[in-house]
Amino acid sequence: MVRAVKFEISEQKQGDALTLAVAGELDLETAPKLADRVGGKSSDGVAALTLDLTELTFMDSSGLRLLIELDRQAAAAPWSLMLRAPKHESARTVLRLTGADRALPFEEDVR
Amino acid sequence: MASDLAGERAGEEQEVAELQRALRGSERRFEAIVGALSDAVTIRDREHRFLYANRAALAHLGFDTWEQLRDTPPSLIMSDYLVWGADGREITMQDIPSVRILNGEHAEPLLIRTVNRTTGVQRWNLLKAAPLLDEDGEVDSTITIIEEVTAQRRSELGNSFLADAATELASSLDYEQTLRNVADLAVPDIADWCAVDLLDQDGDRRTVAVAHVDPERLSLAEALRRYVPDQLDPAEGLGRVLSTGEPTLYPEITEEMLAQSAVDERHLELLRAVGLRSVLIVPMRIGERILGALTLVSAESIVVFDQFDLQLAERVASRAAVAIENSRLYSERSMVARTLQQSLLPEELPSIPGHELASIYLPARETSTVGGDFYDVWPVGGGWMMLIGDVTGKGVQAAALTALVRHTVRTAAEFDCGPAELLAIVDRTLKQRPLLSVCTALCMQLAGEAITIAVGGHPLPLQITSRGVRAAGEHGPLLGAFPGARWTESRLDLDADATLVAYTDGFTDAQDERGERFGLQRLCDALAPLAGRSASDFAAAMAGGIEAFESGEHADDRAALVLRRDAGGEGSRARARTNDERL
Repeated sequence: MVRAVKFEISEQKQGDALTLAVAGELDLETAPKLADRVGGKSSDGVAALTLDLTELTFMDSSGLRLLIELDRQAAAAPWSLMLRAPKHESARTVLRLTGADRALPFEEDVR
Repeated sequence: MASDLAGERAGEEQEVAELQRALRGSERRFEAIVGALSDAVTIRDREHRFLYANRAALAHLGFDTWEQLRDTPPSLIMSDYLVWGADGREITMQDIPSVRILNGEHAEPLLIRTVNRTTGVQRWNLLKAAPLLDEDGEVDSTITIIEEVTAQRRSELGNSFLADAATELASSLDYEQTLRNVADLAVPDIADWCAVDLLDQDGDRRTVAVAHVDPERLSLAEALRRYVPDQLDPAEGLGRVLSTGEPTLYPEITEEMLAQSAVDERHLELLRAVGLRSVLIVPMRIGERILGALTLVSAESIVVFDQFDLQLAERVASRAAVAIENSRLYSERSMVARTLQQSLLPEELPSIPGHELASIYLPARETSTVGGDFYDVWPVGGGWMMLIGDVTGKGVQAAALTALVRHTVRTAAEFDCGPAELLAIVDRTLKQRPLLSVCTALCMQLAGEAITIAVGGHPLPLQITSRGVRAAGEHGPLLGAFPGARWTESRLDLDADATLVAYTDGFTDAQDERGERFGLQRLCDALAPLAGRSASDFAAAMAGGIEAFESGEHADDRAALVLRRDAGGEGSRARARTNDERL
């Protein structure tokens, strides 16, 4: 039985703009990995961080909590945060149901 | 003619003399080369008698002179030793390479471990033999080189033993199991017996585990333990090790030592029955703190402990100390976590007149962390308030947050606040905290048959009737997370045969072995056929259904409240804690 990719982060940098594309499931187990990755990058001269969640298939409350936490950090840091909404319904639902779709800095309307 | 003959003889004599000189010369050279080798070299004839042994061989076999060795039958020498192969198999004369060569076999080098029956000294030797042929090509004698590899071999074994020990010790966080593992580790690789003694908080000693190569002999240890006083003499033996933290080695236990330490005849008999040969006591310590000690005993294996064993035992003991301390901390922490968790859930659900109520709480398998799920049900003016939620995060932080949320809601409810207002109050309280504190919550107020529902980032409650499963209420924002958040209330009139299920996302997020999530659809499918059944049936089916679906250990905890209109009119409640023993 082939199991879909559980979690993967790919990185793209253009000048001082960094995009981290997160694919798979952002949950209790994987959220700390993304937190570490962002923590390691935010100090090396990144001015604009985009989290591309397009390929996110699932997100639980730990994942959501991390997004809120990063949004707070960005408010007090020399870098800005932008989120790209997931295309998969299950991850979109979590954002919509918790009100995160309106409160977090998404590039376009999640609904 | 005669002079010719005489001349010939003289020539022959001269030749012989020259040959003899040459032979003596080569013997001297042989002796000069082989005699001074640090490896033992022996030459034996076809009857296995010694023809030659260099100085190292004499010393190795325990002889002072060549004559002594020459006059001792080889079988007698062999019988002075216990001999094993590297695989632990006993070695006989027929396995020795030189004997195999004489028997016409091919002989590979042989690694053996010997223990001198008298001195108890153990050695590792590598035996290499080659045939010496006569002019007809027949085996005339054999030459054996005995390379002593004791230090190298014991250090190899010690390292691999320590590596295994590390794995074994890391295999369990269960305190009692760890103690047994520690005792079993040393037997039989290092010792015939191993006892683990620990000091408690008052400094009292307790033997917590004993292992022996032959479990039947453990009763002997049991009998002996009765003679060991709780307060040991701090100047001697185990007492000294426990008070000073210094290891102690008794290479040879003598009859006098036994007689001296025995308190009576029976005790002495028992001590003799053990057959103590050598004893090693090493402290288990973390920094300056002495946790206890390992006592290693050599008995039937005859081996006498030496400095190498002492060092190895010290290394084992320091690893054991860490493992024991970890498992102790872990069991304490698990207990704290469980006590804390329990204090965050109602002791008992109240009975709501005209309704049946049931709850489920399944903590995450990681027992030392406190999960973030909570629920509460309590009476308010003109009805009942039901609350279920999930604090994101784990551990004591999450527990503190859970307590805060529950108390905030309970206090606010005293002032006749409705569900939406309660959520707004919790939201404000959470936002006042310096660290990000968010939680989901579903608040339901029950007045007669009407239920007022407010939802903050939480899954909507499900209403199950014979017509199917339907979500109730409207989604609202997560608590403590977003500025300007507002919550609305929606009203639900519970049908006569309806059951309302409020749950945390631990149910829908559960994964099977392929990583598939349980999801809302499966939950609805599992609940639909239960329509009309009792609240406790619902609770049991939910707990059972998730257990059947899930693979491995669940990382998140899960909670649910089930409310059903009770046809009988009497309030009743049930609590399905499928894992009661863990709480």
